[in-house]
Amino acid sequence: MNLGTVRLPEMPSLSMLRDRSTAKLLMAIGLGWLTIFFIVPVVVLLFESLNFGEGSLLENYSTALSGTYLRTLGRTMAYAFITTIVCLVLAYWIAYYIAFKAKRQMLMLGFVLLPLWVAIIIRYFGVSLFFLPTGPVQQTFGTDFGVLFSTTGVIVGLTSALLPFAILPIYNSLQSIDEELINASQVLGARPMSTLRTVIFPLSLSGVIASALFVYILAAGSFLAPAILGGPGDFMMANVIEQSFSYSIPLAAALSVVFTVALLILIGIFNHYANISEVLGDL
Amino acid sequence: MLEVKNLTKYYGDLLAVDDVSFRIEEGEFATLLGPSGCGKSTTLHAIAGLIDASSGSVHLRGKDVSDVAPYERNIGLVFQHSALFPHMTVEENLRYGLKMQNFDGDHDDQVQKYLEMVQMADHADHKPDELSGGQQRRISFARALVYEPDILLLDEPLTGLDRVLREDMRNEIRSIQQEVDVTTLHVTHDQSEALSMSDRVIVMNDGRKEQVGHPTELYERPETEFVAEFLGQSTKFQGELVDSPSPIVQAGSREIHVKTNGRFDPADGEEVSTYIRPEEITVYRSPQANGDVNTFTGTVRDIEYLGHRAELEIELGDGTVVTAFSQTSDELDIDDEVAVQFDPEKVICV
Repeated sequence: MNLGTVRLPEMPSLSMLRDRSTAKLLMAIGLGWLTIFFIVPVVVLLFESLNFGEGSLLENYSTALSGTYLRTLGRTMAYAFITTIVCLVLAYWIAYYIAFKAKRQMLMLGFVLLPLWVAIIIRYFGVSLFFLPTGPVQQTFGTDFGVLFSTTGVIVGLTSALLPFAILPIYNSLQSIDEELINASQVLGARPMSTLRTVIFPLSLSGVIASALFVYILAAGSFLAPAILGGPGDFMMANVIEQSFSYSIPLAAALSVVFTVALLILIGIFNHYANISEVLGDL
Repeated sequence: MLEVKNLTKYYGDLLAVDDVSFRIEEGEFATLLGPSGCGKSTTLHAIAGLIDASSGSVHLRGKDVSDVAPYERNIGLVFQHSALFPHMTVEENLRYGLKMQNFDGDHDDQVQKYLEMVQMADHADHKPDELSGGQQRRISFARALVYEPDILLLDEPLTGLDRVLREDMRNEIRSIQQEVDVTTLHVTHDQSEALSMSDRVIVMNDGRKEQVGHPTELYERPETEFVAEFLGQSTKFQGELVDSPSPIVQAGSREIHVKTNGRFDPADGEEVSTYIRPEEITVYRSPQANGDVNTFTGTVRDIEYLGHRAELEIELGDGTVVTAFSQTSDELDIDDEVAVQFDPEKVICV
């Protein structure tokens, strides 16, 4: 299925660099950085996760894939999934409004981006203040609707934090739809809802896929949202890994590997249905 | 069939269409012709319902559709850059209108018929981006006709095609239009396109309607300076009308004899613009004062060889440059002294 591509800022091409040795040097710096701070740690992590003492080599993995840890993995994926769905629905609505209805698009986009200037932890505290017994929700309704320190709290927090990442790619893809196609659809007899369903939505699918990917990965890796807004039963993988790090680095390493592989598998399945490389072709 | 009444459109303070009215009869091929920015596209979009007019109304088959949404107007529109849906095949593009309009009749047959009409039946399963520019226009044309709209609107549909293809497509559009017998309003800035295809041309300039008429009428009897200058080539002489004993326009020291034939009735002393088309000018090799009226001497300044003839730029004594044609066998050279002569009957007065 051809989904079009998301427009992303262009990288300066290497041919633009006149001196070949400069290009090589730049590449070496980049590759060196990647090697030292990404590849080496991953190799160390893999090595750490193996058990060279008594028992099976993969003992840490059997712990990581058992009982409470497996449930946490499942919970992490489920929370990320729910967050993604909620974010996509809200983001599509907002992006559609900005792209087609708003008079001052840049101002609206500014509002979308504004929260990104505030540290994420402060935003989560903001959300929790909102629902605290002294906060406006409690004061107005006499209840916090069970949001605080619960699954709902985590989802609300993640959604509010990640919404800008969902809005931007969708807005971008909506923005790049040729207005004449929408006009054509109308003249051909399609009512606004039909035009949205048959023309606008299919043509913005690349943005939806990019948004889903961003939000899912960011949500799944979230540490602060469950820590600040969740209850004791809402821990996600990042929290569990951080916790186990304090008493068993090998287990933390094994959990990290399991988590990463699980995410990669999910992305792989997603890719099977929606060709990500086509959507993010310009990356 | 289609009637536009006092259509006016402001964009903010900018007046894009200024009180334009015209009507098109059933089955006619009409063209809105004018330079870019003259308001012709805005007029077309208002007819399609894609923009709201500031005032005025649009009537289709006697019904005021000014407040009817575009999806309920039953209009076919061919866009400037075809605007085919890129995520649908050719066939799906054609089916779209049938489905959305709930077309009464067999959709398969209808799609097949119109694909054959534009000679694209072999490409039903292709995506638009697999087609050439010309093929895309054909599909766009079929898509606009397949649900048998009341009127077909063409918004510069040949933009961006090369000259040869444009000319082929022109003939093809005209013959399909006649075959389907659909009332058509075409928008273009290309005068040869307008003159060759249309039953009726509406010339627009600066948001206003200048003149409406059959192509020959517009070319031979323009009513405004704009129409005279916009359509075809001509040389302009401007001056006061002196009516003694036959009408003469006194353009500087030059006397242009004209025949108004009652069509044109200015008062004595009025400022008049006269135009003479290059094909009405006879060029004589040696300047001779044979006493004929409207004979002037000049020097050949430029020759543009066009194969079957040459286009000459001849500078008269007072610096006026006359555009004329000559037979290529005339063997004129730059700086040759020549005489130009034209019949008072052929002088256009505005």
